[in-house]
Amino acid sequence: MARLTIRNICKSFGSGFAVNDVSLDVENGELVCLLGPSGSGKSTLLRMIGGFERPSAGEILIDGRDITHLPPERRPTGMVFQSHALWTHWTVFDNIAFGLKLRRLPRADIREKVEQALAMVGLADYGQRMTTQLSGGQQQRVALARSLVLEPKILLLDEPFASLDQHLRERLRDEVKDIQSRLGITTLFVTHGQDEALALADRIVVMRDGVMEQVAPPDVIYRAPQTEFVAGFIGSMNFLRADVEDGVARHDDLTLPLPIADGPVILGIRPEAMSLTPSERPRAGKVHRLIDFGTHKLIDIDLTDGTRIKCMAGPDARAPRGLRVELGVSAFHAFRDGRQVYQTTSDLEATERSMSHA
Amino acid sequence: MSAVPNRPSARTAVPPKRTVRQPFDWTGLLFALGLTLVIVVPLLVVGTWAFTEVWRYPSLIPQQFGLRFWSQTLARADVWNALFLSLRLTTVVTVLSAIICLPAAYAFARLSFPGRNLLFLSFLASHAFPKFGLLVAIAGIFLHVGLIATFWGVVLIQLVSTLMLMIWVPVSAFQAVDRRMEEAARDAGAGPLRVFWSITLPQAGPTIFAAMLMTFVNTFYETEGAWLIGAPQIRTMPVLMISFINNQLVVQYGAVLSVMLWVPSLLALIFARRAVGTGAFARGFGA
Amino acid sequence: MAMLSSTLPARARAPAYGGAIIGLALVAMPVLLLGWLILYPILAAIVETMFPVGADGARGFSLASYRFFFSDDYSLANLRVTLWTTCVCGLLLVLVGLPIALYLRFSRGRFASYVQALAIFPMFVPSIILSYALIRTIGPNGTVDLVLNALGLPKLPTPYLTPWGPVIGLVWDNLPLTVLMLTAGLGQISNASVEAARDVGAGPLRVLVSIILPRMGNSLLVTLSFAVLGIFSAFTLPYVLGPASPEMMGPFMERTFSDNNDPLNALTQAVISFGFCLVFGLFYVRSIARNRESRR
Repeated sequence: MARLTIRNICKSFGSGFAVNDVSLDVENGELVCLLGPSGSGKSTLLRMIGGFERPSAGEILIDGRDITHLPPERRPTGMVFQSHALWTHWTVFDNIAFGLKLRRLPRADIREKVEQALAMVGLADYGQRMTTQLSGGQQQRVALARSLVLEPKILLLDEPFASLDQHLRERLRDEVKDIQSRLGITTLFVTHGQDEALALADRIVVMRDGVMEQVAPPDVIYRAPQTEFVAGFIGSMNFLRADVEDGVARHDDLTLPLPIADGPVILGIRPEAMSLTPSERPRAGKVHRLIDFGTHKLIDIDLTDGTRIKCMAGPDARAPRGLRVELGVSAFHAFRDGRQVYQTTSDLEATERSMSHA
Repeated sequence: MSAVPNRPSARTAVPPKRTVRQPFDWTGLLFALGLTLVIVVPLLVVGTWAFTEVWRYPSLIPQQFGLRFWSQTLARADVWNALFLSLRLTTVVTVLSAIICLPAAYAFARLSFPGRNLLFLSFLASHAFPKFGLLVAIAGIFLHVGLIATFWGVVLIQLVSTLMLMIWVPVSAFQAVDRRMEEAARDAGAGPLRVFWSITLPQAGPTIFAAMLMTFVNTFYETEGAWLIGAPQIRTMPVLMISFINNQLVVQYGAVLSVMLWVPSLLALIFARRAVGTGAFARGFGA
Repeated sequence: MAMLSSTLPARARAPAYGGAIIGLALVAMPVLLLGWLILYPILAAIVETMFPVGADGARGFSLASYRFFFSDDYSLANLRVTLWTTCVCGLLLVLVGLPIALYLRFSRGRFASYVQALAIFPMFVPSIILSYALIRTIGPNGTVDLVLNALGLPKLPTPYLTPWGPVIGLVWDNLPLTVLMLTAGLGQISNASVEAARDVGAGPLRVLVSIILPRMGNSLLVTLSFAVLGIFSAFTLPYVLGPASPEMMGPFMERTFSDNNDPLNALTQAVISFGFCLVFGLFYVRSIARNRESRR
């Protein structure tokens, strides 16, 4: 049973903040992804939990106990590093056994635990290999086993698959998810890949410039982004500038009912929420290109105001280049000053309401 | 672009094998011959002299080979005295410079403290002055404190030459150790000292060992400081060899000493250089 | 889990502060040695020669020893032969080292590794053994004489005990570092930039002159500086291989200090050596400092 509590954590570097006033609760057995572009502070936050960086303010608690000022070796956390950071002068067995030896376990226990850990990550017979003889994926598995064998209360993963190729990454991510849910270990996972976050996380924390933009389960993050940044960062989103007048948002190519105060607004529309119909209007959007993904097609439309938007269409859709089209919208978001101010109703709105206050 | 021989693939019919001939490396041959002549021949000559008993002008090869001068050289008390003195001196210098320099190298590589960069670069100072001039300046100081012609005077003057090597090479060795590796060890529950002992030192070990080996060999053969500060009371092997050459003693003495002393050091240095790597080595001198 | 039940008192600032103290403590010893064995002797040499102890036992400003050096024919001859040797060696090192470095950088020929091994080999030959080998090879009745005699050719005058003796020895001795440093410098010129030049139609010579040499300027100067610093005050090779008069600064200083028991003039000679090498020393340090900056 482990619960991680982060309260008002700040980390300043020189004059700026790498992490600015972040608070977060991670429940027992939960897998939370910290997602954001590079420089968003997600790795710094993780390293502060691991004890490798010192927060400038705030506190970190595990099961209610303050660990803010403990050095890494006295924290019940286990970290898997991006570069795997295996100790290349030892064998796989020695790498995994090191922490157990430090805890002065009997030799037989060490052997048993290491073998269990190796079996868990599917490397049962690799104990006597040198780490440099392993492939990138195997090295990362050893790093995972090295952390797990110490039965940490909190598992921290710092972009563990960043240096692997796409296929391997997907496989390892499924394995990690399986192991994590089997052990029920509370986990924090840093990534800059939205696929990874959507596939793994119970909840996603989207970070930007050291600040949390939104904390929510993957489906909510996708369907109910709280900010313009989250909307653009997760999945693809078309943004259009429009003006609201008397509850109606007007754009050259679109007119949508929008019951908010008058003024400029940014409309966010997912490609799958758009439909196209041929148009005779001379200033209508023009098909630029059609990309066939097999399961669906993606159509690029050049609007007369210069923006290029993407529309998703069925696998049988046809759209010759240069065709004038009218846009149809089934759902959309509206943003002002970066915050979402309106969203067309969907089944998820109820969920979103309850989660955003979590 | 490059001349890769055609590799038959499974699907296409195998074309007649066409190997593109590399043009013969005439430039390389020229350099190889020239360098052999200039570098290898003088050393071969010394090697030959060491096993020669009689070689009178103008014969191209010695009239009589033999090991007579080996036993004569090895029977000389001054040779053994010099050898033991040199070994003692070299060991003391190597151990001292390791004790002095390695902690500092770790500090330069891993800790942050005021003046770190400036102090680190200041170790270049020993290379920025003409060496012998520097030695004379130091001798001027030693003259006042009575270190001339003493064992410890020679030890100190050797430290001048070893400081730079024993700081710069280990610093790059420590810097090359992945910080994450150390952090992972902290994460596994090791304290800072344990991390240093179990992770950092073994990782940087080969390079540091190489640096110590180079220090040992360089000190063993250092002539100028030993001659200026030590002679004539402190006679190291190179100083002894200079006096053999100056006094025009039996030719073979020098040759025997050269062969005897140089072969093991050659093996040591080749090993050291392999461990450090050509690039790091040249960079150590600022290339 | 190696967890202690109590938490440490908050001390967020302490480690950084402690790190600075520990860092300074660890580097203190070598830094003190550096100060005592390098900086202090140099400053002391300058002070002692410019403010010598007079006949009355008091120190006073006087450039007498410098005036003596620059008016003494023998000292000037020694300085001249030192400068000459340094220039000739520097020139020869570039003329020999650069082609080898170019060959090693761009050739994939079968002799490349052999040439590299040979060019670096002298690094493992201590100068005292080299001196001895050269005496036996190019000295009177040495191997060169033997070979010429066997071929029925006339004897060449031996360079042993002439200014050319040290030149040969010093070039031999400094060749490895020259080649290594130049090869490292050439390594920073990417294959792509050379291939791009070939692609737009530049021949090998053109590539050398327009692409490689302009970017080698700094490496060449660093290499030369390093060689000059080593050669200017070389001791062993000139002492053993060179003429007794005029002699190079190294043997000259040694003889003044030990044989003539005249530390004042020896220190003066040392300070004058520093002066002549100052430019090269500064350049060397500056470019290494810059290299380190850019590598970070």
